[in-house]
Parts: sequence; structure tokens; C-alpha cells
Amino acid sequence: MLSPLIWLPLVGAIALGFAPGSLTSKWLRYGAIAIASLPLLWVLFLFTQFDLTQSGMQMQEYLPWIQTLGINYSLATDGLSLPLVGLSNLLVFLVVFGTDGGAISKEPLKRPRLFYALVLLISAGMAGALLAQNLLLFFLFYELELIPFYLLIVVWGGQKRDYAGMKFLIYTAVSGVLILAAFLAIVWLSGSGSFDYGEIALDDLPQRTQLILLTLLLVGFGIKIPLIPLHTWLPDAYVEASTPTAILLGGVLAKLGTYGLTRFGVGLFPETWSLVTPGVALIAAMCVMYGALAAIAQKDIKRMVAYSSIGHMGYVMLGLAAFTPLSMVGAVSQMVSHGLILALLFYIVGVIEAKVGTRELDVLNGLLNPIRGLPLTSSLLVLAGMASAGIPGMVGFVSEFLVFQGSFPVFPLPTLLCVVGTGLTAVYFVIMLNRTCFGRLDAKTAYYPRVSLKEQLPALGLTALIIWLGLQPGWLVRWSESTTAALVAQAPVERPLAQTGAQAVVGHGTMAPLAIAPDLVTSPN
Amino acid sequence: MNLPAPKPLISPSQHPHAEIIHRLEAGGSMLPDTPENLMQIIGIYKAYAVPMDFYWRDLLYIGEKVFLDPLPIFKYVISDEYLQRHNHYAGDDADLRIWRGRANVHPELEEFIKKGELNRNLPTWMHHFWHDRVNMEFAEACMRAMLWHRHMYAPVNKFDAYLDSDEYKANADRAIRAYFKGNPAMLGLYKLFPDMFLEQCRQASYYANLGLFWEVMAPVFFEMSDIYDEGGFKGVPDAMNFLVNGIFAVAGRPIYHHVYIGDECYEIIPKSKGFTWLYEAALPYVEAVFYRTAPFRGTKSYNAQAKQVPEDQQDFHYGVLYADKFPVGTAGIPPTLLAQDMLHFLPPYLKEYYQKHCRGEDDMLNQLAITFQRSMYNVTSAVIQALRQALLYPLDDPNPKHLMANRKFFEAQMDRFLRPEARLRDVQTADYR
Repeated sequence: MLSPLIWLPLVGAIALGFAPGSLTSKWLRYGAIAIASLPLLWVLFLFTQFDLTQSGMQMQEYLPWIQTLGINYSLATDGLSLPLVGLSNLLVFLVVFGTDGGAISKEPLKRPRLFYALVLLISAGMAGALLAQNLLLFFLFYELELIPFYLLIVVWGGQKRDYAGMKFLIYTAVSGVLILAAFLAIVWLSGSGSFDYGEIALDDLPQRTQLILLTLLLVGFGIKIPLIPLHTWLPDAYVEASTPTAILLGGVLAKLGTYGLTRFGVGLFPETWSLVTPGVALIAAMCVMYGALAAIAQKDIKRMVAYSSIGHMGYVMLGLAAFTPLSMVGAVSQMVSHGLILALLFYIVGVIEAKVGTRELDVLNGLLNPIRGLPLTSSLLVLAGMASAGIPGMVGFVSEFLVFQGSFPVFPLPTLLCVVGTGLTAVYFVIMLNRTCFGRLDAKTAYYPRVSLKEQLPALGLTALIIWLGLQPGWLVRWSESTTAALVAQAPVERPLAQTGAQAVVGHGTMAPLAIAPDLVTSPN
Repeated sequence: MNLPAPKPLISPSQHPHAEIIHRLEAGGSMLPDTPENLMQIIGIYKAYAVPMDFYWRDLLYIGEKVFLDPLPIFKYVISDEYLQRHNHYAGDDADLRIWRGRANVHPELEEFIKKGELNRNLPTWMHHFWHDRVNMEFAEACMRAMLWHRHMYAPVNKFDAYLDSDEYKANADRAIRAYFKGNPAMLGLYKLFPDMFLEQCRQASYYANLGLFWEVMAPVFFEMSDIYDEGGFKGVPDAMNFLVNGIFAVAGRPIYHHVYIGDECYEIIPKSKGFTWLYEAALPYVEAVFYRTAPFRGTKSYNAQAKQVPEDQQDFHYGVLYADKFPVGTAGIPPTLLAQDMLHFLPPYLKEYYQKHCRGEDDMLNQLAITFQRSMYNVTSAVIQALRQALLYPLDDPNPKHLMANRKFFEAQMDRFLRPEARLRDVQTADYR
């Protein structure tokens, strides 16, 4: 049931990649749209088949592969991966739909055959990584992502694309090495004969070993998320990448980091995870503050959005660190909402760059002008800014509120810092909107081409989704509630609670007040 | 055999706008002489003349009939008498018959008043409240600019001085008392605040002033459009010279303010005062509306304390010659209202021209507003040439001293366009649209 999500885009990528040379760019685009729409429709169908009451894996597929090495073709989904698969397929579809319409690129898309093949390859890789239930299979897909992303950056990127691409490649390769090392160690040390996720039991491993393995994963996935101070590849990669690549990098790839950490870090080491959470929470708060403050200082709106992404991934980390049912639901929701909002922001920034010809904050002005400006695009940018700043009524508020509500009882100070971070988000978006959308349109330069409705469609679709999920948050959180609650329930030890004694309450029950400080958690040995 | 060009009698100007000064000295306009410019300005004159045919009628209606109505709800719903009133400079019974247009309301305007933009025969009040009508607010904004910037061209312009005279006050007093006869509340208020009523009366006088000014300009612009359609006008200077000749033809037209209350006519400013069209209406109008006006709300923040607004009223530079036309369409600012009015009456060739540029239909308001700016540079050129002709020397004067005097005059005029806001540089290129 899940295989089509991998194989449809993979076969499609190969078909498009080897399509006859006589096929025009227009027909390649239509073909890519058709191919990208298939897994999207399929994942929508899967949502209807998903059992909300079940916390474990569903729709499992198993095919023995290289059994001597313990590698099997094992797929399944749960409330953690299904929303992300949906998000990934949606963004891939929007990217394929929106790239060659002229909205996010001044010139016609060059080498469309390769471009669409790579994007579809990313779709396949993402689905594979999110659905894989075998550690090495996950790693295979995780690494598979690296190649198309690298090519997308260096072929279609901006002026410093080679530098950005190489930096991305090195960082991500290091991330891969660390994760591979951790996976191999997990399987060898646990004595499990297989890399299958369900068969790995680490209860007998000494906590020190678990801590080392978890740290490897934390750093490995931390590069991908990215966590500071491992983030320095991100601004370059996001800014130098073309708009579609930036959407995929921020909306899709970054989620692989948080997903991997949740699935393999939290999922395999729930007890040890509790041990490191105070540090993770602090790093999360630092990410939020750093991302927001760095964004305030930027003069390039794309770079501003890139730094805002670092900040917003901090909320996911805070939710994971707090490790309460509510905060975990918030973290998963934040992954989805961040993907949607960031994609919208990058898309609009792309439209502005394509039409106005600059991303410079000091040059842009008065885009809300109804006749000669980009009024609808500017209005959508205002909405996206509001969504990103967590204004109620939009999906950003729902996920951030869940994270804060779930995290405050456990980590009050980092949570408060993150709340301040949302305020700072509003600051840089007000700066951006004030300089970009408001003010007087410069009569000397304002001869911008019109943005057609077709070019607006991806942004309109994302906005509709952002508002709809903001008004109907049940459609966002229902998928992950059971899974995250079960994940939290794995943690055998009780963890610290703030002196406020507050209780986090979710639909599935209450989290008992915890009394043991992290340093008092004793090792089983 | 080519003869060498005669050596100019005076050396070239060193002014930053030297090229334009030389063009003016050669009998040209500030607007470059190109067929595209000619087509644009004539087209927009026609589109301007149709609503102007309403502006002057309604301005006179308000000045003469509505007068000091405290609740002038229907001041834009003009009486049939004023709508069909014969223009004094068009039609068979005109005082001066040099332009061929018809005496009563222009058919396109009549059609628009009946059907509006909606193109439906709805009651007048429905068109009015749907704002589907001629934007008289624009005409009133021009009138207020003249009222606010009073005393321009004094002492040649004696109109403003007269508004402060005892004679004017006595005339106004009689009209005010007659207007509010049988209305003790308003008469009581008049007793309490006589200056307020007097100021309103001055405003009504300016309604009449501007109405009388535009009564002349509407047939002039119609005539120019007709000549162009017939194949006349070989270039922009022809169009400018037509305006110069027009200015001199009607320069002596009396400017007055009569108020009709019941069956009686109250001459607040009698014709016998000798106020004339050129000095008491045209020149102050050009100064107030083309050069000065005031910053329009909503288009930019002006901070007087930060000296973003000139301290001296005569340094104001927010008129059409300086205006940034990009905010047109953003708010109910006067340029937007005028552009909206002109949009309804564009000649087909201009519509077609706009379709081919920028965003076509979508930013036609901007495009025509910029065309209007170009056309007003041509009108201003006509005024500058007329002033030069009236006060200085012919362009082909053989005396270098006279030519130098002309040069100084032109340079002084061009000094007003040195500030960065001036659009004189922009209108020199076809790309500014």
C-alpha cells in the first residue's frame, strides 16, 4: 500500500529523465505534474485509510532483501510519518506545478528533464526515508536525497551555488557518516541480527553507550535540522538554491532531520533521551533566539526567511525535548506547519525576486500598490508573515501554542525564551513587510510584470491550507496524537517538572507530575 | 550647396535644463516633439475635456445656486438648466466663436450621466451613491488649492485682494442675509461667526472663478482633438501654439461671481470690477494646481517638523508637474479621481496604445495619469510662452539683449524644475509611462 509513494515518482523520474529529446518543456512539465499528482492523490487516499486509534505501525509491507546483512524492504507508517509524507508530496507537487510558470524564475527553466527527474527522485527518497522500517533502508533513502539536492543547488542555484552546494554536500555527508556509524553500532551492540526497526531492543545497553549513540544521532540529524552551531550550511544553501530547491530544502529535507531524531533518537532511546532533554531544550531556545535575531539583521529577504527557518525548527526541538504528549503533538504539527509556511514564504520571495529583480530590503518598496505593484503577492506575504509569527487563526499558532503549552511545565525558561522568539519573529516580519510591501513604489523602477493567477495558484493553495488548518487544527493533530502519546509512554522514568507543578493535559490523558531531577536519574547499571 | 547655419546671437545656456531652454527658445515645448507625445496629449485633452464640461457647469452651479447650503448633499446633482447651459465660447450663440464645439453638454457626458460606468439607466441618486458619476471632488480639490494658495501673481492678480475688501464683504453680507432669509438659526450663527460665513462665501467665489476658467478650456480641448482627428497639428509645438493663441484670445474674459437667490441676482463680484480670465483665473490656476497644491493624504507621510514640507507656501511642489503618478489608484486622492473620470472618455487610439504597454488594461489609470502629466507640461509650456510673449520679446528678436532677457526668463522658469521631484526629466523619454 505504501510502495507506490516510492515507486511512482521513481519510475516517473526515470521515465522523464530518459524522455525523448523532442518533448518540449511544456509537455515535460505536464508529465511531471501528472506524475507528482499520483503519489499526492495516493497519500490522500492513505489518510482516509489511516486508523487514528492505533498508535503503532500501520499499512506494513515486508519483503526480504539481503537477509544476511539484515537489510529488508520493510515499510510502514504511523502518525509521525504520515503527515510528513503528505507534506512532502504536497510540496513536491507545488514545486513541479509552480517552477516553470514564470512565477519563480525570470527565465524559462533550463534543463527541465533533469530538473523534474531530480525533484521526483527527492519525492521518492523522502517517501522511502519516512516509511522505511529498516535502519539501513532508511539510510539508503536518506543518502539518496543528498545527490538530487546537491545537483539542484549547483545546477540551478545563484551566483555562489558551487560554494553553497559543496558546503551542503560536506555537511550532509558528515551527517550521513555519523548516522551510519550510529546505526551500525546500534545493531552490533544490541546483538540484533537485523536492521529492522521493530526488532531492535536497546534496553540492555549501558546508558553511557546509549548516550554516545544518541549523541551521534543528535549531531547527525542535528546537521540536517539544523541545530546551532551545526547550521552554517543552511543560509548559504537556502539562499543560493533556486526557489523550488529552497522550498524542498526547508519544507522537506529539514523535516527528515527532526523525523529521524524522533524516530531513531527518541524512539530507540526514550530513557536516554530524557537524560539529554535539558540540553536539547536549551539548544532549541538558542536556535529560536539566534534564528530570530539573525533574521532581524538581514538585508536580503530570502536570507531572512532562511534564518527564520532555523528559529522555527527550534520549536520542533523544544517540543521533542519536553517530551510530553502535548509537546510531541506540537512538535509534529510544527514540522508540518513549518513546512507549509516556509514553502509559502520561499515561493513568495521567489515571485518577488522574479518580478522585481531583487531581494534587497533597501531596494524593495511599495509592492502593495494595487495597480503597478504586486498586490496579491504582497498580501500573501503579509499572511505568511502572520502565520510564521504565530498569529491565531493560522496553522503556525496552533503548532507553536501546542509546543509552548506542552513544554512550559517541563522547561519553563527555554519555553519562555522561545515565546520571546515568536515576538522577535513578529519583529523581523514587520521589518520585512514594512520595507517590502508598504511605502511608496519607486516610479523609476516599478515596471514589474504582472503575476498571473496561474503563478499565484501554489501560494493561494498553501495559504488556504495554512488558514484551514489554523481554523480546524483537529485535521492537523489527529494523525499524530496516538503515536506521540505511545512514544512518550515508552519512557520508563519520570522526568523533571517545573516548580510550577503545572500539568500538561492532552486528549489521551494527563502527564503525571514528575519529581526526579535529570541528574538524579540513575543508570540501570 | 548647404549654407552654414547662422551663428546664434547669444551663447548656449549653461542651465541643467539647457536642452529644454533651447527648445523653448526655438518655439518648442517642454515636451519633446514626437508623434507619440502628440498623440498622447491630444488624446488625453479630449478625455479631460468631457468631464471638464461637467466640472465647469457644476462649479458654477455650486457657486451660483448651492452657494452656502449647510447640507449640500445634492451639489453634484446638477440642475438641467446648468447642464444645458450654453458655453460662452462654443456654439452658435457664443460670445466669441473661434472654436467649433457645441454650446450645450457634450453627448458623451450626457450619456455617462444617464448610464454611468454601469451602463444602466438607474435613478440619478443610485448612480450618485454608487459613486458611478463624474468625480466633482477633483474639481473641488483644484478650487481649494487656489483658495488656499491665494494672492498668487499679486498685484497683477487683483481677485484675492478684492475678496478681503469691504466692498466684497458688503456684497457678500447682502447675499448671505438674502440666502438665509427666514432661517433664524443660520442668521443667528452668521451673527455669531460672520467670518466663517464670509470664508465660505470666498470659497463660493473661487467655485465661480474656476468654473469660468474651465468653461473656456473645455471647448479649447475639444477643438484640439477635432483638429488632430482631421489631420491637423504637425507636432507638439503646433498644439502648444494653439493653446498660446487661445490664451490670448480669451485673456480678457471677465471673472465674476453672481449668486442667484430666488428671482434675484446678487453680484458678489460684479463683472464691472474688471477681473480677467488670464490674470485672475488662468495664471493662479496654473500656479496653484500645476505647481503647488498640497501633499495628498495617503500617498506619503509628510512631517512638517522634520521639514519635509516647505515652510514657505510658495515652495510647495505637489502639483501635477511634480506628482508621482504611481499612487494613482491607491486612494481617493484627486489625481485618482481625475484619472478615473478620464478613463471613461479615452479616445480609441489612446486605449489601444495603453493596451500595448506596461500592464495594459490593468494599469491604464497609471498610464493615462502619466500621459496627463506630459500634456500638462505642454500646457505649462504654453503658459510660459504666453507670459514671455506678453511680458518680454519675440523669439526671433534680433537684439541679443532681448534674447538674453528671454533666456533669463526661461531659465528662471526651469529653475522650478531643478528639484528632484520634478518630472521634467522623466517626460523627456518615452519610457516613462
